[in-house]
Amino acid sequence: MARINDVGGTQGFGAIDTADDTEPFHADWEARVVGLFNTLRAQGLFNTNEFRDAIESMPPAEYLAASYYERWFTAIVTLLEAKGVLERGELDD
Amino acid sequence: MTDGDRFPPGTRVRTFPHDPPHHTRLPRYARGKRGVVVEPEGPAELADISAQGRGDAPVEQIYAVRFAARDLWGEGDHHVVLDLWESYLEEDPDRDR
Repeated sequence: MARINDVGGTQGFGAIDTADDTEPFHADWEARVVGLFNTLRAQGLFNTNEFRDAIESMPPAEYLAASYYERWFTAIVTLLEAKGVLERGELDD
Repeated sequence: MTDGDRFPPGTRVRTFPHDPPHHTRLPRYARGKRGVVVEPEGPAELADISAQGRGDAPVEQIYAVRFAARDLWGEGDHHVVLDLWESYLEEDPDRDR
């Protein structure tokens, strides 16, 4: 079962965007997501491989529609729920 | 190179063709392909097991392995080097072909 992230060498995704974009973030919330990630990982709540796994486990349509840091945030919420830190759906409101 | 490395530089290897139902760092395009070990990159926990949140992930040597693009995708004159865990690899049984 190849996952949606594993598209190296496949076609139909259009040209690779090689624009010289040196800005690390394009919205404040993106930087906060990275801060959240660094803090939770440093606390040992999850490791990098679990985080990657959580991103890859997104439903393909959701994955493809999400931006880079939206995927990060989705994975963080998935892991917080899986570890029992958040109730499932707790953030939905 | 550390003691006990299974694949010295220059070893012809083949990647496993398996398609595991969990996280892996062996990309689909490189499964069941032939390459040559460039050099060991150092040991690390096997990501496939670590990604499952298990504390018993084995520590394996990671190897830089060079592939001909043509072998991966059927075209291209360049090479691609991937860092791959030892258990992704076996010595190429057809190394003398």
